[in-house]
Amino acid sequence: MTAPGTEVVRARGISKSFGGAVALRDVSLDLIPGEVHALMGMNGAGKSTLVRILSGAQNADDGVLEIGGTAAGPMTARKARKLGIATVPQRRELVMTLTVAENIMLGDLPTRTSLVRWNLIGKLARQALRDLGIDVDVNALAGDLTVAEQTMVEVAREVRRGGRVLILDEPTACLGAEAAAQIHALVRRLCESGVAVVFISHHISEVLALADRITVLRDGRVVWSGLAKETDETDLVRSMVGRDVVSTRPSRKSDKSVTGLKIESLADGRFIENLTVEVRKGEVVAVLGPAGDAQSRLFDLLSGRRRPERGHLEVAGKRIPFGKVARSLDSGLRCVTGDRRRLGLIPELTVDENLMLARDRLDRRRLHRRDRLARRAAPLRDDYRVVTLSPNPPVGLLSGGNQQKVLLAKWLGTEPVACLLEDPTNGVDIAAMADIHTLVDALATNGVAVLLASSDADEVMRLADRVVVVRDGRAIAEYDIDRITRDELVAVALGGAIS
Amino acid sequence: MTTTLTAPVATRRRVLPRGFAHGGLLLVLVAIVVFAGLRTDSFLSTNNLLNVLRQVSVVAVIAAGLTLLMTAGGMDFSMGGNVAVTTAVAAQMFAHGQSIWLTIVAAILLATVIGLVNGVVVTFTGVAPFVATLATATLLDGVALLVINGLSVSIDDQLSPLGIGKTFGLPHLLIVAIVVLAVIAFVMRYTTFGRDAFAIGGNEDVARLSGINVSRDKLLLYGLAGALSGLAGIMLLARLGASSPGTGGLQLQLTAVAAVVIGGTSLAGGKGTVLGTVLGVLLLGVVANVLNLLQINSYYQQISVGAVLLIAAIANLLQRRRH
Repeated sequence: MTAPGTEVVRARGISKSFGGAVALRDVSLDLIPGEVHALMGMNGAGKSTLVRILSGAQNADDGVLEIGGTAAGPMTARKARKLGIATVPQRRELVMTLTVAENIMLGDLPTRTSLVRWNLIGKLARQALRDLGIDVDVNALAGDLTVAEQTMVEVAREVRRGGRVLILDEPTACLGAEAAAQIHALVRRLCESGVAVVFISHHISEVLALADRITVLRDGRVVWSGLAKETDETDLVRSMVGRDVVSTRPSRKSDKSVTGLKIESLADGRFIENLTVEVRKGEVVAVLGPAGDAQSRLFDLLSGRRRPERGHLEVAGKRIPFGKVARSLDSGLRCVTGDRRRLGLIPELTVDENLMLARDRLDRRRLHRRDRLARRAAPLRDDYRVVTLSPNPPVGLLSGGNQQKVLLAKWLGTEPVACLLEDPTNGVDIAAMADIHTLVDALATNGVAVLLASSDADEVMRLADRVVVVRDGRAIAEYDIDRITRDELVAVALGGAIS
Repeated sequence: MTTTLTAPVATRRRVLPRGFAHGGLLLVLVAIVVFAGLRTDSFLSTNNLLNVLRQVSVVAVIAAGLTLLMTAGGMDFSMGGNVAVTTAVAAQMFAHGQSIWLTIVAAILLATVIGLVNGVVVTFTGVAPFVATLATATLLDGVALLVINGLSVSIDDQLSPLGIGKTFGLPHLLIVAIVVLAVIAFVMRYTTFGRDAFAIGGNEDVARLSGINVSRDKLLLYGLAGALSGLAGIMLLARLGASSPGTGGLQLQLTAVAAVVIGGTSLAGGKGTVLGTVLGVLLLGVVANVLNLLQINSYYQQISVGAVLLIAAIANLLQRRRH
């Protein structure tokens, strides 16, 4: 234990409600320099509200916030930043068209008689990156970086601005194992330099490996708080969910002789070279590789967004031309994107409209009646356990897990013959994850050919019957799932070798 | 967490009546009407009010088409130019002794084709709608001048039943505008085509992947904008009795765009209501009328219209931010 008085932030009895809904109830939190304090909880547990209060975006209704030993009083975002509390949000906040150096120095460009001093900008930015051991070219455009690099640049910017407390909101959410490892290394270096890090993540193993201290929120209350070494995975899950979550592979014994989906000698530039995959009806086949490898190109090709250079596609024995969304849909192939913000949902439209967006178009429905729409959407909401607080809000207001369920329901409620699922549990809490896994099981049981594009070894282990391993655009091996171990799959996802 | 945060907002929205979303705009409109009623004797007379409505009818028809198009993330800056060409061509056809119905049909067909050309360029070349239609707008203004050879072409009273006629005391122009607005409102709310427009404006990629024929819908939307421009052109010709240099054109276009934007339709697409557009059209029409009645110097008139635009836009935004 650290001696009392060393906390840089002490929150006591923080409460906050919105209208009638209580978001936080009597929450206390200590942040100590040089420590990683992980904040865990399901979607909607109150993590975001707590972060917003710490970073001054909102004020608590009740409770005391002490920063650096003195009561902070009413907070604003500007004041929080001045006191050294910086947030790196889940969505990148870089100006993508400017260079890394400009982004790091943004709002603080060194000038001489109001002319920008470009040399100095480059030098200071390089210094800021070097201090944290980040290897990124300062002259590159922010938009050209990988997501992990963008996150690191943002961290460097906040530290340069004087961040003593750094709140990282799911920095590894959309990253592959290798990129996540880069972020982990950065977090450790931040701690060594005496920064207090708040680390938000749904990945339990990651948190257990990285955090010194863990606070678990559930329904706005702290249900567990303590040292990371005093807890384990089972306890954390129970604290977060309030019950045990069991997600185990069911045994599937359907007849797996009929081919549902066949991809033959697919080639597209340097991303995919000669990929052949056959998925039988009722089977789940995973294409697994390091993040950004061949498996992440399948969505564009199969959905008809992009025409590959070569290759054939067959759904239930019928040849489907590439590059035509309508033909892809008519064949019964459903492609569920892993990027629901960009390619999955329309945030301004309501939950019901998003749920029926594809279905009603496939049915060639002409008129749109809200009451009937609600009636058609209701069974989907039930089956996929979409939870909303108001009857039919815009889908953009839902939590990530619920949005993901709407996305799956939108596509899988349209009688698929075959489907491609791209990272189906992306950014989703463990209870929702278990729900989604069950849904995928049900798909396979109902005879759908499921192709899973993933960079998550655990998910592949849980869902797939077979796994095709890809590296540098090529399929390098194929295994039945019971012939390969989890550790070997993890090594694959990291881009390592298989023994 | 997001759900928790927005719950009270959602409840509040449900309790309030529909149309309250345009409360700020309504407030500005009511304030101006009250002010006008107090300062002038003639504003609230039936005659004057009907006259205002007759005058805004043309803008209303254009704005209706633009609302749907902009909701789908499109933009047509050439509707005013299209009106200019339509009035010019129709006036010349009358002058050459063509029948009324042939002229009307031909003018609206021509306008639809012009709209479709915009649609083809925007849909299949990927040029930004703003740029493409600004170019056609300039082009069409020139064509209109060419058609009437830079001179005023009178149509006498051939369209006066439409231009000044009334049924049950309502000007025919107003009735046409109301029908158009009602149809567009219905399409936007109760048809899949209308909801597709919201989807395309919200996220075109998602719309396409969801099986919406985005290219076809866009062509239809630009074609519809063209057809409504043609109708507006006939209405304008009926009201003015002649096609002159400067009839329609960019001035009319800017008024329509202003009305739609004031009404809360998003320039980025995905949001829009006919009700808001109606309020925007009324606001602009009422302000112009009041300034005329107060006999304010026309320089100040323009300044005042600009100021009202700004106030309405800010009121609109403040309103939305509170939600």
